[in-house]
Amino acid sequence: MIQISDLTFNWPGQSKPTLHINDLQIQQGERLFLHGPSGSGKSTLLGLLAGIQTPQQGSITILEQDLGKLSDAKRDKFRADHIGTIFQNFNLLPYLSPIENVLLGCNFSKRRVANLKRANISAQNQANLLLEQLGIDQTTRSRSVSELSIGQQQRVAAARAFIGQPELIIADEPTSALDADNRDIFIKQLFEQATHYQATILFVSHDASLAHLFDRQVSLKEINEVKQ
Amino acid sequence: MKLVTLAFKSISNRKASVLLTLFTIAVSVMLLLSIERVRQEAKQSFGSTISGTDLIVGARTGDIQLLLSSVFRIGHATNGLSWQSYQYIKQQKGVAWTIPISLGDSHKGFSVLGSDGNYFQFYRYGKKQSLTFSHGRPYHNAQEVVIGSEVAKQLHYLLGQKIVVAHGMGNTSFHNHDDNPLTIVGILEPTGTPVDKTLHVPLKAIELMHGPTHRVSTTAIVRNNDSHSHDEHEHHEHHEHLEHGHHDHNALESEPGDLIGEPTQLTAFLMGFDSPLYTLQVRRNINTYKPEALSAIMPGVTLRELWGMLDIVEKILMLFSAVVVLISLLGMLTTLLSSLSQRRRELAILRSVGARPKHIFALMCSEAVLITALGSLIGIAMFYLLILVSKGMLQAQFGIAISLSLLSDYELMLLGVIMVSGTVIGAIPAIRAYFYSLNDGMSIKV
Ligand SMILES: Nc1ncnc2c1ncn2[C@@H]1O[C@H](COP(=O)(O)OP(=O)(O)OP(=O)(O)O)[C@@H](O)[C@H]1O
Ligand SMILES: [Mg+2]
Repeated sequence: MIQISDLTFNWPGQSKPTLHINDLQIQQGERLFLHGPSGSGKSTLLGLLAGIQTPQQGSITILEQDLGKLSDAKRDKFRADHIGTIFQNFNLLPYLSPIENVLLGCNFSKRRVANLKRANISAQNQANLLLEQLGIDQTTRSRSVSELSIGQQQRVAAARAFIGQPELIIADEPTSALDADNRDIFIKQLFEQATHYQATILFVSHDASLAHLFDRQVSLKEINEVKQ
Repeated sequence: MKLVTLAFKSISNRKASVLLTLFTIAVSVMLLLSIERVRQEAKQSFGSTISGTDLIVGARTGDIQLLLSSVFRIGHATNGLSWQSYQYIKQQKGVAWTIPISLGDSHKGFSVLGSDGNYFQFYRYGKKQSLTFSHGRPYHNAQEVVIGSEVAKQLHYLLGQKIVVAHGMGNTSFHNHDDNPLTIVGILEPTGTPVDKTLHVPLKAIELMHGPTHRVSTTAIVRNNDSHSHDEHEHHEHHEHLEHGHHDHNALESEPGDLIGEPTQLTAFLMGFDSPLYTLQVRRNINTYKPEALSAIMPGVTLRELWGMLDIVEKILMLFSAVVVLISLLGMLTTLLSSLSQRRRELAILRSVGARPKHIFALMCSEAVLITALGSLIGIAMFYLLILVSKGMLQAQFGIAISLSLLSDYELMLLGVIMVSGTVIGAIPAIRAYFYSLNDGMSIKV
């Protein structure tokens, strides 16, 4: 699914590299927990996987596709087609309704629209279905985004990540603003959806106590050759 | 969802600041359009005041002054020209027609113009249109008056009514004055020119107005029997100088009488020629006419001179309205830029779902375009509202007929320039957003 080899990434204007990863593999359908202290480069790695930044050296291959061989435009398209993203918080556009926020997930991807078509369901219905499955009821769906609780916002963001069945979901500390109970419920629901839609999950957090919920855990500190 | 829809939802979410921006753009657009429309229409209505006249002749004075006083009733002609000169020049070769004009009197603020039958036959305005009557007919004798449409409207004058036209420029009524009531025998159709605000009387009526004593003492011309009989006639008239609602339709059937009398002076006269070739020749002759210092002007040429003088004023007005538009667009720039830093998260979210930096650029640009377009639309609506409200006032005060017509090509061009400027200005925050989205990527910096 994901293969990283000999990767070096240096933020422009910084004297030493942020990341140097020799080898990291993630299997299809795997739920991987990547942890590391703040500032260790977790978000940077996700940016590289999403193809927003490009490494100075090495290669990232996702679904047999070497990202380095794609043009900027193709990488943006690749991300839209194959990767769903959930951020730490403030995941939603405040001027769109929850449903519209979910639909945004297939706004820039023909492939996700095609996937929905193949599954014989309209984007609108799929959005409603996902929100339903993630426990957002009808009345909440029609509310303004700013009136939702953080937990509800994260669930809407999850629905957006899943719509149109992308193969990879990357989540950058999506539970850090949630209390322990909500956090566990959220992760449980995330896994349910991942199983249902056969998605691989790469979950990033500095909170190592979540590790036991996942198939596998990786410490960025250990695989990163650059020592802070 | 289309980017434009996104842009629209995004700006509707920031109502307070966007509304303010919309309002300033709307006001500036309204201002620009209004100034331009008034400027154009003023030029138009000035330019269409007189047409078909080849020469205007008056006592020697500035060309523009002669044009203004004889045609636009602005300012006074200091001197007149003698009747003899008129008679002489009239005989020149190639002269098709002449219209004598005697100004200087007024009636309740409206100017009184003495002339003869030629006035209704040969005077042209606009696109060589002749004067037409909405009611009645031209005057046939010195006891009759033809009034312009505005005069009739504002003073509520009706056909057949008798009025007293006093001597002098004041609008007070002269009770001690030797009354010479005139019957309204014609009301002209509106022309959108000073004709609407003019009372037209025969030259002879002007002479009578000034009274026999005055006339005799200054000119020593013995009045003939004809005018004497008129004087007697006058004594039978009522002494109220205004009789509202008096419909004496018999008054409309009158004996044709002398229209000219024995004038000594004219303010000016208009000339038409058989061929333009004569115009220049006669003009030369008039300008070198020995017995009296005269000027002959070609209205079209002098009008152009006048525009030349007004050019700088127009340019300043234009500059001011352009600056107002620019300021309103800069206001938009400030609003967009200040909101941008709070929206970096929004850009990152869009990037994460696959938006390209160029999409971000287009999104930000469309916001500026939407705000400019919406502001312009509101401005256009306000502009029409303003015209609707001030139309009557402009017509009455300045004689400028503003039409509620569709936007002209020129006005559309102005709006086009505003739209392009709005887009260009909107590109500034869009370029910043573009680089934010390139650098920030998906990591959110707030
Ligand atoms: N846009 C950027 N430009 C330059 N340097 C950056 C940028 N984003 C991050 N960095 C640098 O890269 C390093 C890693 O940052 P990153 O955000 O990946 O850490 P993180 O592990 O996600 O931390 P956290 O747990 O706090 O989110 C930091 O030292 C940071 O200064
Ligand atoms: Mg981070």
